[in-house]
Amino acid sequence: MRGLRKFLTPFAPDQSGAVSVLFELGGIVVICDAGGCTGNICGFDEPRWHTQRSAVFSAGLRDMDAILGRDDKLIDELADAASKIEANFAAIVGTPVPSVIGTDYRALRRMSERRAKLPTITVDTTGMELYDVGAQKAYLALFDRFATRELPVEHGRVGVLGANPLDLSCIPPAVWSLTFSDVVCAAAAEKNLVVAPSGLAAAKLLRERFGTPYEFCDGEGFFPQKGSWPMRDSSTLGNVLVVQQQVKANALRDDLLAAGAATVTCATWFMQIPELAQAGDVRLREEDDFERLVYEGGFDTLVGDPTLWRIVPRFEGTTIDLPEFPVSGKLVAMPEAKGSIPRGAGFPDETPGGRP
Amino acid sequence: MACSCMMPPENQSLSRCEAARESIPSVARGFAAAELAERGLEDLPDELVSNRHLIYSSPATLAFNSPGAEGFGVKRAGLAIPGSVMLLVAPGCCGRNTSLVSDMPAYRDRFFYLNMDETDIVTGRHLRKIPQAVEEVVDCLPQKPSLVMICITCVDALLGTDMERVCRRAEERVKLPVRPCYMYALTREGRRPPMVHVRQSLYSLLEPRPKRASSVNVLGFFSPLVDDCELYGYLGDLGVREIREVSRCVDFDEFQRMAEANFNLVLHPEARFAAADLHERLSIPSIELTRLYQIDRIRRQYMALGQVLGATFDDEADYAAAEGAIEAFRTQMPQAVFAVGECLNADPFELSLALVRYGFRVREVFGTVGGENFVFVRRLAELSPSTLVYSNMEPTMIHYDAKGHEVDIALGKDACWYHPEAAGLAWNADVQPYGYAGVRRLFEALAQLVERPVGPHAALAVPKEVGA
Repeated sequence: MRGLRKFLTPFAPDQSGAVSVLFELGGIVVICDAGGCTGNICGFDEPRWHTQRSAVFSAGLRDMDAILGRDDKLIDELADAASKIEANFAAIVGTPVPSVIGTDYRALRRMSERRAKLPTITVDTTGMELYDVGAQKAYLALFDRFATRELPVEHGRVGVLGANPLDLSCIPPAVWSLTFSDVVCAAAAEKNLVVAPSGLAAAKLLRERFGTPYEFCDGEGFFPQKGSWPMRDSSTLGNVLVVQQQVKANALRDDLLAAGAATVTCATWFMQIPELAQAGDVRLREEDDFERLVYEGGFDTLVGDPTLWRIVPRFEGTTIDLPEFPVSGKLVAMPEAKGSIPRGAGFPDETPGGRP
Repeated sequence: MACSCMMPPENQSLSRCEAARESIPSVARGFAAAELAERGLEDLPDELVSNRHLIYSSPATLAFNSPGAEGFGVKRAGLAIPGSVMLLVAPGCCGRNTSLVSDMPAYRDRFFYLNMDETDIVTGRHLRKIPQAVEEVVDCLPQKPSLVMICITCVDALLGTDMERVCRRAEERVKLPVRPCYMYALTREGRRPPMVHVRQSLYSLLEPRPKRASSVNVLGFFSPLVDDCELYGYLGDLGVREIREVSRCVDFDEFQRMAEANFNLVLHPEARFAAADLHERLSIPSIELTRLYQIDRIRRQYMALGQVLGATFDDEADYAAAEGAIEAFRTQMPQAVFAVGECLNADPFELSLALVRYGFRVREVFGTVGGENFVFVRRLAELSPSTLVYSNMEPTMIHYDAKGHEVDIALGKDACWYHPEAAGLAWNADVQPYGYAGVRRLFEALAQLVERPVGPHAALAVPKEVGA
């Protein structure tokens, strides 16, 4: 049945993706919910939350706030918080509640800028899409609002898009993390590197606005499994199915083919960019899709989040565990930051305004 | 570094200048107990009233924002009936953190999901799918469940979904009890918040049975009281042979035998409505008791209970044991300074008052002031007027810095988070401390705690039995 999950817990939702992008930027992030969504986002989908303080708030909506559409109360509270906390900007992130009551985000943005005197973006997430949709919306909202100044291109400066914990399944090293300065000075980048599909729309916006070219990451340095497969005897790989976010899956495909795999099929539960897909690649939606793909696909090896294996208990080939954070909430080991991506040269890396 | 110099010209008008930023004090707002007592419950500062500000999200507020992530929220509570399963019908975001619960052995293969999309919300088609989804879930299980709970969330609260009707349809299809439970965070501060409703929903399953004078139910928690709680012995002395708690029922039939009870003991205010329902529907009266850490108040409460039941409890030994544990710790650390949080098995203000009355100092309390506990705030103000009260949820808590807040012991998971350098005791285990046994165990745990070296993550180092 469509939408029925018997084995897997729901994947990271769009609102988590949006907060993942905004978390380290030094803004006041208001999740427009009753509290539960904030608990899910911070307590489960945001691994940095346990060790870093960030101005993430729940709107704490109550039934009458939703029924009466008390946007003014929300904005009063946001203005109050802005008077107590240093911030570069405010971001209002949607959840199912504003989605159901039809919140006017444009009006919220205007009210916030007038009352809180902070530049404000809104991200109209609904809690019903997946994390990458929310991350894409947040990247777009940020760059559209704040990357408006033409700057001279700096040789060797590379923008990285899609390097957040949900897309990478690890906490990215600081050198890859997006800062507010990176956003404001996006025009100075020589090129943008798209690490995950969530970053593509922003890369296209920056190409259109500043002529900055973009390319997809080949995985080197970003995905810790690349080049370090536990499979010693490559002849046993056979026909491989990789289930990961598409850019990562593609990088691993190259790796696996080089290691001796006969064929590699990439599948993803998340966005699938047509220009990156090869014949036979699959976009998964339901548990049944995965079950059918595995049992009818003739695979010898499966690479993916270990929670998936419960769906296919009769699969007799080899499974290689590669946790995918938006699927199971399990992180992989953090890759070491390599010096090959000279970001931020000449620009402050820390977030302007500072945070505790 | 400065944002304003980096900001595009068109945005600079909106960016506050550095000078303005510097004027923002980086201090968490706390209020002396004396000030709160003087102002009274009706005039609490906005900072201490959760619906007058945004809710700051930190690990200290996780229990508020996501009750299911720690202890018992609606999801775990909804599965209190042995052999039951849950179908969460909601947008995917509502079930995201459920794996925290479903990874526990007791909850494995008990959670299922029917994810809603925007079309479902517009057309309500998800409601038509529920009976079939329930059937598919029941069919995929090796053993028929005793009950299927349908959990719905804020979206259906706003849509006004009649889930009782949908559950009846599902019941007809699977020939099993199917009940709704409402994880409506929107109604959290209403008259019947989700944790009240889920208790009503669970106990609504009890069918009338002949009464047994020797049977009593303990309502309130979803996990049992500590095994050595004196309450069991006192009830036994009265001739009570069966003391039932939902968490100790081994199967659905034993749960149904809760309907035989002569009376209910209500140990948590969130069980009041469920007890009232049982009184009305099954004629089971109830007596409400409060969890306390002041031993003289515990004694007085047992005396009042004895009067109601026409008996006198011999509590000398239990009282002495609790008093002895307090004294032993006091000898060990007579000048102990505490920070007390609200993520623990106590009312933070009542516990703070108890500590102050036992001769210790409470520097600060992280808690939610309300009608139920303001009496303790008033008394605390008399004995320790300078004790500071903070709300975990208030925006300035982002600035909270333990430096300068000298504390020896942090009590409660939230207080431990604020004071990583202090000795920490989470005191938030599932098994519930209660009565003299609770006091005795707390001070025994404190005594063990201070024997060990303190330092960062001290709270995490507390062995399970100490945390309990």
